[in-house]
Amino acid sequence: MARELLKGNVAMAEAAVRAGLEAYFGYPITPQTEVLEHLSARLPELGRTFVQAESEVAAINMVYGAACTGTRVMSSSSSPGVSLMMEGISYISGTEIPAVLVNVMRGGPGLGNIAPSQGDYNQAVHGGGHGDYNMIVLAPSTVQESIDLMVLAFDLAEKYRMITMLLTDGSIGQMMEPAELPEMRPVVRKDWDWATNGAIGRERRILSSIYINPPLEEETNLRLMKTWQKVQANEVRYKEYYLDDAEFIVVGFGTSGRVALSAVRAARAQGIKVGLFRPISLNPFPYAMIDELANKASAFLVVEMNSGQMLEDIRLAVRGRVPVEFYARLGGIVPFPDEVLSEIQRVATTKLNTDQHPRDAWLARFTAQSER
Amino acid sequence: MPISIKTLTNEELMAPGRTGCPGCAAMLVARLALKVLGRQTIMVSATGCVISNITHAGGPSIPFIHSLLPGSGSLISGIDAGLKALGKRNGINLMVLAGDGGTADIGFQALSGAVERGHKFLYICYDNEGYMNTGGQRSGTTPYGSSTSTTPTNMSVGKHSSVKNRKNMVLIMAAHHIPFAATASIAYPQDMLRKIEKAVQIEGPSYIHVLAPCNYRWGFPEDQSINLAKLAVETRIAPLVEVEHGRKYTLQMSNRLKRPVQEYLSTQKRYRHLSDENIAEIQQAVDENWEYLEQLANIG
Repeated sequence: MARELLKGNVAMAEAAVRAGLEAYFGYPITPQTEVLEHLSARLPELGRTFVQAESEVAAINMVYGAACTGTRVMSSSSSPGVSLMMEGISYISGTEIPAVLVNVMRGGPGLGNIAPSQGDYNQAVHGGGHGDYNMIVLAPSTVQESIDLMVLAFDLAEKYRMITMLLTDGSIGQMMEPAELPEMRPVVRKDWDWATNGAIGRERRILSSIYINPPLEEETNLRLMKTWQKVQANEVRYKEYYLDDAEFIVVGFGTSGRVALSAVRAARAQGIKVGLFRPISLNPFPYAMIDELANKASAFLVVEMNSGQMLEDIRLAVRGRVPVEFYARLGGIVPFPDEVLSEIQRVATTKLNTDQHPRDAWLARFTAQSER
Repeated sequence: MPISIKTLTNEELMAPGRTGCPGCAAMLVARLALKVLGRQTIMVSATGCVISNITHAGGPSIPFIHSLLPGSGSLISGIDAGLKALGKRNGINLMVLAGDGGTADIGFQALSGAVERGHKFLYICYDNEGYMNTGGQRSGTTPYGSSTSTTPTNMSVGKHSSVKNRKNMVLIMAAHHIPFAATASIAYPQDMLRKIEKAVQIEGPSYIHVLAPCNYRWGFPEDQSINLAKLAVETRIAPLVEVEHGRKYTLQMSNRLKRPVQEYLSTQKRYRHLSDENIAEIQQAVDENWEYLEQLANIG
C-alpha cells in the first residue's frame, strides 16, 4: 500500500473498515465528525451497517446491542459526547463484551470549544463511568499511529472482552499527513461462546451486568481485576527517544508528546542531554518503565494539554526520588516547541525546588509570565 | 392590542450582536421573537447554530443561558422552579430557542418531560433540517430525498434511504395536549408574531416550529431565505397550522395556495439528484400530509 495524504479522522475511519468493522453508530460532534461522515458512505458501499443515532446515549447503547451479537462494532465522539456515553461504557464493561471507541478530545469543561485538548485523560484512564472497571486507552501522536492503533484496538477489545478507546484530539483528528493504510482484512465472523446471536439448537445465553447478590458482584469485580492484570502484563506500549544517555526526561502523550519531541531535538542540538518518553497505552500505564527511568534521570518534565492529569501518574511512579516538573497549555491551545524548549532549558540549568507541587509551581510561573 | 408590524418595538434585544451566516433564518426568528417577548425574558439556547453564533459576539442583551444539547427542556424547568422559589416568577417570560437536533433528536426526552409537567415557557424550534452547525449531517427532521453529509445522494432516496418519515414535531407536541402548538414561517411575519404573542399569553407550555432555510447547507443564494420559506408554505411542504390543547386544529392557508413541490425542490442543491419519480413520491407524501391536516382541522 502506498502512502497517501490522509486526514486523521478519515484515516481512523478507513483503518477501522479495513480491520473488519461491521457496524458503526455515531452522532455528529466537532472535531470528530469526519469519522461519521466517511463511514456513512463507506460502510453501506461494502454492505455493512452505518447508523446515525439520535444522541450519544443512543449511539453507545446501539454499540452495546451490536457488540452483544459478537460483531465488530465501534462509535466515535468528542469530549461532551463521550461524557454522555459514560453509563453505557460502564454497562459494557460490566457485561464484559468488546467494543471500540474513539474520543477526539476538545477544549472543556462544558461545551468548551472545538480546539485540541487532553482534558479527558482522567475520564478515560481513571474511570468516568461508575463502578470498578478499566478500559484499554491508546494515545496516538501521528495519523499513521492512529491507523495502526485503530486496527490493534479491535484485536485487544476482543481478546480481553473489554472496551478499547483511542484517546486522541482535534489536532490529530483534523491534520493531514502522509500515512499508509493497511490491506483490507476480510470480515471474520467468530462464533464467540458469549454472544447472544440466536439460541436455536443450543442453550440460551444471557448478557447482563446485574448481580443483585453482592457476593456474585464481588466475584465479577475480582474477575475484572484479574483480566486487567493480564492486560497490565501484556499490553503496555510506549516509545522512547534519546533515552540512552538522557539526564533529563520529558514525558508527554499524543499531541503534547509530539510537540515535546521537536523541543527535545532542538535541546539535543544545544547539547542538553534530554530524552522523551511517550506513553502510548495510557491504560495500562507504563509505571514500571517510569519507575526504572527514575533511577537514572535527574529530573522529569511532564508536558500536557490539561491541568496535570497524567502528571499524577508520573509522580506515582517516580515516588519523589527526583524532581518532576510540569508544563501545560489549556483551553484548546497546543504548546509551541519553543515553549517546551525553554522549559527543558530551565529544568537543565536551574536548581529545582521540590517543596511545591509541580502543578502549583507551574501555575505560579505561568501566571507571572502572562502578567508580564 | 394585538402585535402588528406597525406597533413592533424598534429595540433589538438580539444586540449587541451575533455572527450568524448571512441570510440565517434562525437569527431572524430569534430577533422577531424577542421583540414580542420583551426585555423581561430569560432565553435558553441549546448547542447549535444559534449558540455558536451569538455567544461569539456577546449574546443578546437579556439574561441568557446555554443549555446542554440534550437538556433544554430540563434546564428551562429548573429556571421556572428556581424563579418560583425566589418569588420572582411573575412577569418573566421564559423562552427556549433550539435547533431540530436539539429538539427532535437528542433534546426530545427533556422537551417531552417539560411540557408534560406543564411549566410555563415558550419553546421555539428553528428547523434547518439537519446538524448544520457541525457540517450538515442528517437529523430526525431531515426530509426524504435530501442529501446531507451523512446521507450521500444514493442513500437519500429509494428503499435503502436512511431518511424516511421526518418527525412531525408539532403533531407530537399536540399529542402532549399542551395549550398551544404551531408552525410558523419567516415569510409570514404577521402570522408568526401573532402566534408568539398568543403563546406568551397562554398559561402553560407552548411550542412553535419554524422552518429555517439554511443557504449554506441547502445550497441556495443567501438572499433567498424568505422566498424559500414562502415557497415551502405555498407548496404545502411546511403548512401553517396551529393546535390548541391538542384538539382544535386550524390551518392558516386556504386551498387556493397550492404549487407543485418541484418549484421548491428545484431551488436547492441538496435536491438536485432527485429523479421525476422521486419528486412524484415527495408530491404524494405532501398531498397526503395536507389531507390529514385538513381532516384534523375539520374534526376541530
